[in-house]
Amino acid sequence: MLFDTTQLVVALLWIAGAFALAIALIPLLGTLPPRGRFALISFVTFIAGLFFAAEFFLPVGEDNKNILTDPFQKMQGSLQVITALSLGLGTYGLVRMHLRNAIQRRPQWGYSLVLLVAFVVMAFFSVWNTMAEKGLFGLKRTPLLENAFTLLFDYTLIQLDATMFSLIAFYIFSAAYRAFRIRSIEASILMFTAMLVMIGIVPLGKLISDSIGLPAVQTAEMRTNPFMLENILYNLRLPQIASWIQETLNAPVQRAIEFGVGIGALAMAIRLWLSLERGIN
Amino acid sequence: MSYQHAEDNWFAAILIGFIALAVLVNIWRARRGKELYIRRIPGLDAIDEAIGRSTELGRPVTMIPGLTAFGVEAVQALTIFKYITKQIARFATPMRLLTANATVYAVAQEAIADAYNEAGRPDLYDPDSVRFLSSEQFAFASGVAGLMQRERVAANFMFGIFYAESLIFAETGNIVGAVQIAGTVSFTQVPFFVAACDYTIIGDEFYATSAYISREPVLLGSMVGQDLAKISFASMIVGGSLISTFLGTDHPIVQLLGKPQGWQPFVEWLSQMLGR
Repeated sequence: MLFDTTQLVVALLWIAGAFALAIALIPLLGTLPPRGRFALISFVTFIAGLFFAAEFFLPVGEDNKNILTDPFQKMQGSLQVITALSLGLGTYGLVRMHLRNAIQRRPQWGYSLVLLVAFVVMAFFSVWNTMAEKGLFGLKRTPLLENAFTLLFDYTLIQLDATMFSLIAFYIFSAAYRAFRIRSIEASILMFTAMLVMIGIVPLGKLISDSIGLPAVQTAEMRTNPFMLENILYNLRLPQIASWIQETLNAPVQRAIEFGVGIGALAMAIRLWLSLERGIN
Repeated sequence: MSYQHAEDNWFAAILIGFIALAVLVNIWRARRGKELYIRRIPGLDAIDEAIGRSTELGRPVTMIPGLTAFGVEAVQALTIFKYITKQIARFATPMRLLTANATVYAVAQEAIADAYNEAGRPDLYDPDSVRFLSSEQFAFASGVAGLMQRERVAANFMFGIFYAESLIFAETGNIVGAVQIAGTVSFTQVPFFVAACDYTIIGDEFYATSAYISREPVLLGSMVGQDLAKISFASMIVGGSLISTFLGTDHPIVQLLGKPQGWQPFVEWLSQMLGR
C-alpha cells in the first residue's frame, strides 16, 4: 500500500480546505480599497519575513534547532507546493497559446502543432512510466513503454539537450573573436592576458617554458629568497603566470563582485520585507 | 561556507545587522529630504535608445529573466521589465517576455498587465506576450533562440540569473542584429555578456537599477547604505591584511575576520584588553 487511507483523506481535506479558503479570500481582497489591500499585503510580507529572520537569529539548542526551525522547514515545503501549482499555470498558458495558434492557423502554426504533439506524447509516456515504476493501478513496464521511453527521453530529449549545449562552443568562439579583436588598448590587454592564460594552462605552456630553459622546479632556497634570479625565472614560466593571473587578479575581482552582489541582495530583501520596493506592486 | 543560524558565526550576524542598519538609516535620511547622488550607468541610459530602435523598425523587444527562480533577483528583473514595458506601451511596440520559471511567469503576467494599465494603454496588453517556454534549461534556450530568429527582434533585454544558456541568447541576439542590454549577478556569465552585448550591468549595479530608473529617494537612500557597507568591507580587508602582515595570522582580529570560529578568541582577547 503506497498511501495510508487516513493520511490520504486528511491530506485531501487540507487541500480542499486551502482551496475553499483561497476562493473565499480572493473576492474579499477585491472588495478592499487599494490602500487597504496594500496594507494587508505589506503586513503579511512583514510577518513572513520576520518569521524567517527570527529563525536565523534565535539561539539554537544542542540539536541545532530553535522553536521556529521545524515550522521553518514546513514553510519551505509549502513554497514547493506553490511552485508546483504555478508550474500547472505555466503549462496551461503554454498549451493555450499554441492550441490557439494551431486552431486559428496563425503564422507558423506548424511549430505549435509540433509542440502540442510532442507535449502530449512525452507527458503520456512519462506519466505511464512513473506509474508503472510505482506499480500504481496495476500498471507494469511493457516492451512498448520501455522502447518508447528510451526513444523519447534517452535518444531524443537528452541528445537535443546535448546539441544545444554543444552549440555554446561555437558561440564562445564567435563571441571571443569579437571581444579579442584589437580595437583598443583594453581589448589588446584582454587578448594578451587571455592568450597567456590559455597557453599557460595547457601542456604547450610547459613545453615553451622548458624549451627556453626556465627552471622547472622551485627549490626551498628559491622560496626563501624571492628575489633570487632563479626564482624570478621560475615565476616567468607560462603555467606560473597563468596561475598568478587566475588566483591573484581574477579571484579577488570575482570576490569583490560577490561582496557587492551580497550587499545588494540584502538591501533589496530589506526593501521588499518592509514593502519599500514598489517596482512590481 | 553557509551558516544555518546566527549562532554559527555571530560576527557574520552582526555584519548583517550593520548592513541592514546602514540601509535603513539612509532610507530615513532620504525620506527627510536629503539630496542623494547616484552615478551614471550607461547600460540603463541605453534602454530608451533600444526601445526607440525597435519602434522605428517595427520589430519586437524581448525580455528574458533567464532561469531566475522567484526571489529577490526575479523581483528586480520584473521591476526593470515593467519600466521597459511602460516605455514600450507609449509607442505600441510589440514585446515578448520569456521565462523558464512558472512562478515568475505568473507574477510577470500581472506586472506586464499593470505596466500597460499604468501607461494608459490596457488595450495593447496581449496575455500571449508573456510566455512560459520550458523549465528545462536547454529547451528554454532553444525556444528563446528560435523566437528571436523567427521574429527578428530589434532589442533584447536580459536581466536576472543566467547559466550556460546566456551565450546562446546573447549570440542569437547578435546574429539578428538586436541591441542588447544584459544585467546579471551571475559573475561567471558576465564575460559572455560583455563579449556579446552592447551594454552589460555587472554585479550589484543590477540591484541599483530600480533606484536608478525611478530616482525614488527611498531607493537612493538604500543605495547609500549599500555603499557604506561596501566601504566597511573594504576597510576590513585592508585592516585585516595589515594586521595579518604585521601581527601574524593568529591574531584574534584576523581570526574574527577570517574564521567562523573566530568570535570566541576575539571576545576573550577583547575582554583581556579591556581588563588591563
